[in-house]
Amino acid sequence: MSAAASRTKLAVVGVPHPAVVALAGALGAGDPWPAPEAPKPSGFEWSFAAGLQEWREKSAAALRGAERIVVCTWPRPSPPRPCIELDAGEWCVAAEWELALGFTALQAAAAACADGGAIVAVVERPAALDSAGRGPLVAVAEGMITFARSLALGEGARGVRINVVSSEIWTAPERLLGSPPPLRTFPGRAEVEVAGAVRMLLSADAAGVTGSVVRADCGRSW
Amino acid sequence: MVAAAPRARAILVSGASGGVGRGIAIACGAAGYEVWIAARREREASAVADEVTAAGGRGRFVACDVGDAASVAQAIATLTAESGGLFGVVHNATSGLSPLSKPAQEIGVTELEDHVRVALRGLYLLARSAHPWLRRSGGSFVVTTSEAGFEGKRLLSAYAMVKAAQRGMIRVLAREWGPDGIRVNAIAPLASTPALAQAFVSDPSMKDRVLGRNPLGRLGDATDDIGSVVRFLLGDDARYVTGQTVMVDGGSCPVV
Repeated sequence: MSAAASRTKLAVVGVPHPAVVALAGALGAGDPWPAPEAPKPSGFEWSFAAGLQEWREKSAAALRGAERIVVCTWPRPSPPRPCIELDAGEWCVAAEWELALGFTALQAAAAACADGGAIVAVVERPAALDSAGRGPLVAVAEGMITFARSLALGEGARGVRINVVSSEIWTAPERLLGSPPPLRTFPGRAEVEVAGAVRMLLSADAAGVTGSVVRADCGRSW
Repeated sequence: MVAAAPRARAILVSGASGGVGRGIAIACGAAGYEVWIAARREREASAVADEVTAAGGRGRFVACDVGDAASVAQAIATLTAESGGLFGVVHNATSGLSPLSKPAQEIGVTELEDHVRVALRGLYLLARSAHPWLRRSGGSFVVTTSEAGFEGKRLLSAYAMVKAAQRGMIRVLAREWGPDGIRVNAIAPLASTPALAQAFVSDPSMKDRVLGRNPLGRLGDATDDIGSVVRFLLGDDARYVTGQTVMVDGGSCPVV
């Protein structure tokens, strides 16, 4: 087993910005296994394939044998932008790169996870009322939720469970449309609300839960 | 009987040279739409355009690779120059790798790139080019997603993922474009297509699995079962419907 996985048998994968580091710390996972930073393409003439393929293989080897793996897909925070105002490079990073990164990270996690283990993907998923200006992010979140289900269908045979926790940590708008969410703690915190939901899904208490989504957004979405 | 739409209503259907896209095009043709078959395969697309005309509409072909920004912009420019406007877009094109069954761990990043390019970048490029024209016409944007995008698929996981991503995108676009009077919706069809027929041959147990959970006990007809719902979503009868993904699968998908 690699050093990263053997320390605690719990690993967190993600771009190591403060919220991801806070989540990893709250889970007692130590430093996150670093996902690559987004590239800066200027147009559509780019490919995310080469770098990600290599990173996936390296990650699967580093995480091999981990019993619990958290793949946190939170990108670095950015302001909302209507979809059609995004230029080619912005679109490629926000939608295509982030989706491909999440896909390869979950692939690596599934390849590395020990039999009987558990994987949780964490996605930032603004509620429908808060989604304007967040097209790529919502697309990535929905894509990851469904990919987690697909993986859960395949990995269940060896007892590996795969679930998703969705959050609205950094995309919560200052002015909320409609009724406020039921919990006054909205939008919640990485180290409290999100970490708690992740911990539950990783634990034996969730032994019968796979392919599911827990919305740790203080009731903002349903 | 299908109510006739004004002749001026031009729509673009991507990936309509066969399968579900062909059915959508013909169904819209039957309502009198001018239907532009936006595809890479001219011979097959032109044949569908003829079927649209035979059904009572006006079928046209425009070359379009939905993953290529210049190609999409040119297709919309050609359409609007000749038709004087654009009333609707149906993004139906999907990667040629979509029916390729394999476990998730065997999907290479290059394959994923092709799925993303056609399904997701294509949606973005069509949305970006079509938006000014749809705002002018108070038009409608429809995306063909899939029940796979709800429930996931063990052997079609990249396809399922991009279809789910499309579902997320249409929900956001509906909110962003609502103030412009543009509606954005999706369908999740289950249809009898050449691709599905081939899949049944490749995996003989698949037919029983697919039909066994379908309360209507049959596959949808691409024109009469699927195309008719897209026609509804494009038209005035759906003027208060936006942000929705309509399951057109005979009640098959157990997720919703």
